[in-house]
Amino acid sequence: MLQVGLTHFLVIGAILFSLGIYGIITRKNAVMVLMGVELILNAANINFVAFSRYGNFGLNGQIAALFVIVLAAAEAAIALAIVLNIYKTYSNVNVDEISNLKE
Amino acid sequence: MDVSNIIESLKLIKPEIAVSASLILVLIFDLIFHKDKKLIPYVALLGLFATGYFVIHQFGTTGFGFATKSTFKAFGMVTVDSFGTFFKLLILISAVLVLFFSSFSDEIKKTTDRLGEYYVLIFGMILGMFLMVSATDFLLIYLSMELLSLSSYVLAGFTKLRDRNSEASLKYVIYGSVSSGLMLFGISIIYGLTGSTNLYVINSLIQSPQINVLALSFALILVMAGMGFKISAAPFHFWTPDVYEGSPITITAFLSVASKAAGFGLLIRFIKTGFAAMTLNNGYWMLNPIFDWKLIIVILAILTMTLGNFSALWQNNLKRMLAYSSIAHAGYLLLGLAVFSNQGIAAILIYFFVYMLMNLGAFLIVMLIADKLGSEDVDDYDGLGYTSPFLGISLAVFLVSLTGLPPTAGFIGKLYIFSALIDAKMFVVAVIGVLNSVVSLYYYIRVLKHMYLVKPKIQPVEIIPGLSQKFLVLLLVVPVLFFGIYFSPIVELAKNCVVLLGF
Amino acid sequence: MTLYDIIFYLFALITIGSAMLVVTTKNIVHAAFALLLTFFGVAGIYVLLAADFLAIVQIMVYVGGILVLIIFGVMLTNKITSVEIKTGTLNVLTASIVIGVFMGLVVSIMVWTGWYSMPAPIPATTAYGLGETLISDYALIFELLAMLLLIALVGAASIARREKESL
Repeated sequence: MLQVGLTHFLVIGAILFSLGIYGIITRKNAVMVLMGVELILNAANINFVAFSRYGNFGLNGQIAALFVIVLAAAEAAIALAIVLNIYKTYSNVNVDEISNLKE
Repeated sequence: MDVSNIIESLKLIKPEIAVSASLILVLIFDLIFHKDKKLIPYVALLGLFATGYFVIHQFGTTGFGFATKSTFKAFGMVTVDSFGTFFKLLILISAVLVLFFSSFSDEIKKTTDRLGEYYVLIFGMILGMFLMVSATDFLLIYLSMELLSLSSYVLAGFTKLRDRNSEASLKYVIYGSVSSGLMLFGISIIYGLTGSTNLYVINSLIQSPQINVLALSFALILVMAGMGFKISAAPFHFWTPDVYEGSPITITAFLSVASKAAGFGLLIRFIKTGFAAMTLNNGYWMLNPIFDWKLIIVILAILTMTLGNFSALWQNNLKRMLAYSSIAHAGYLLLGLAVFSNQGIAAILIYFFVYMLMNLGAFLIVMLIADKLGSEDVDDYDGLGYTSPFLGISLAVFLVSLTGLPPTAGFIGKLYIFSALIDAKMFVVAVIGVLNSVVSLYYYIRVLKHMYLVKPKIQPVEIIPGLSQKFLVLLLVVPVLFFGIYFSPIVELAKNCVVLLGF
Repeated sequence: MTLYDIIFYLFALITIGSAMLVVTTKNIVHAAFALLLTFFGVAGIYVLLAADFLAIVQIMVYVGGILVLIIFGVMLTNKITSVEIKTGTLNVLTASIVIGVFMGLVVSIMVWTGWYSMPAPIPATTAYGLGETLISDYALIFELLAMLLLIALVGAASIARREKESL
């Protein structure tokens, strides 16, 4: 149990993933939701790297993690630009309160 | 993979290269001629036609591109076959039409300042969609979906003139990034189980008994969350009405047709390549019993069309109603997939072709009316049928076709879907589908009722479209009626395009 | 218990502890700084998994790029000097129970699945291998990412730009 192996890393990934989802469902603030998404992406990356290390699958997993990091940067840039834009319109970034579109 | 392999593979992705080149061309053009933006739509159109040339040339070509060292067979991460090419053509036609829509739309005209970015982002969407429909590697699937998403997040909030634009954008980016995060976690588990991200390799490894079914099912459900988001299948559909209502109409039209087409192309290829053990002689696929795809897809389909149709009943905003109707149509299309046979796929292809014409047409009319009326509310349509007979009759044709009544093309699409279901002996599902169509009749006809039967409180405005606008409407109305009567060309095309490279 | 194990538990504690802070704290600035610790912890885990290059990228891009963006977002969308920033949370108790069950499920899937485990010898550096794979096997995806970054650049600039014809 104490000997650190693949499972230990996967458990960290699983916990980060669940915490990310917790953040997404309990938060109203758009920036906070995005932080939850970042946690999920990091959880997936830990999985990729751990499998790549222990499964002897070559470097594919690390490449995947690299791509995800690049993508996360691009997504964060777009998402935060949108958040800033909506803040200019509403002076508010809470997802729940922005509901003109609801009938 | 050596250099010669890459060069060989490049020949297979000529359309994608053309799209990328056009994207960069539009961008440079925008930088050089930033004073006068009138030329940009023409450059974009030129790029689309160049891409179209390569896409049409690709019909009949089959092959794998970009094989990696670790994929022990010659399977690559890009698969070119007629199935993918059909979807590429569909995406391209709708892109050309949306380009014309954009040149008429008042919403887009007001943003002349940023017209260059608008077309660059549309090309970004097209590139993402092209790669989606031919991707057979999870990494490529994920990244091309993200490319499509990133471009559409921005476009959903592009005009910025009305509050609801930025709101649509925010909702889209929040739901989109969550669903893609879930999908990525699912992909990482599948990578752990099989040691590969290539669908062909996954297919061959997944048959071994030591694969853990529970872990695989969990991962596949997460992956379905990502794909379900793109095709707006229930329960991942809740973003659709808000985003469709809030986006500029041209983008709504593009999202509802092209983005959905790319999602379906991806989903079908994913299931077929990753899980079909073989295709039987009668066209039915033998799927790996490890995951009950049939049950999942049937449940998703029934849920999607029922939710879509019943929510559409109470909508007063026409754009929002069409959003729910597009959810319902995703349900019918999923029914075609649930058969898991080549016949079902052919039905999906036929339906998509028809759906493209009628849905784009309906959005075009709504756009033309909204530009004059400043409203998409069905109450404001009172009496419009008499003052603007051309638009009224065209909208009627599109709505009747969306319902699926003869003699329009929509009937042909539904006919093929339901006959595929009946051939596969899925009678209960077929009956639910037909009942759903009956429900949909109510909300489509309600619009017509407002246009022709309700007495207007104020004198309705007269909307006379310009000559080019009339021509564009006719370009969509005539095929909808024509293919409703003489449909063998599409059926032939679709039947030739069900060839999917796989097992 | 070897030194490796101790370091692992240390990083695991940092990562998970700060991640919990991120999702539970009411103060958004605290959440952003806790996220910084989480990213550092994950970088440490990458080092333990013999992914040296990735660990550096994690610190450079996540901490240096994404986190700075997020903090900018936080700062620009809230007047932190005047008002204390509070973000209300929705039905925390229900969410905690649901997520608790969900976490148990995910963790047990991860623990009980018989993963293929056969660690390869640790290479001296992964940078060479990664670079080679990136431009040979994954050349297409590499180029796709280039287009994606271009789109992100154009898109972000287009949104954030001040509108001439605004209301």
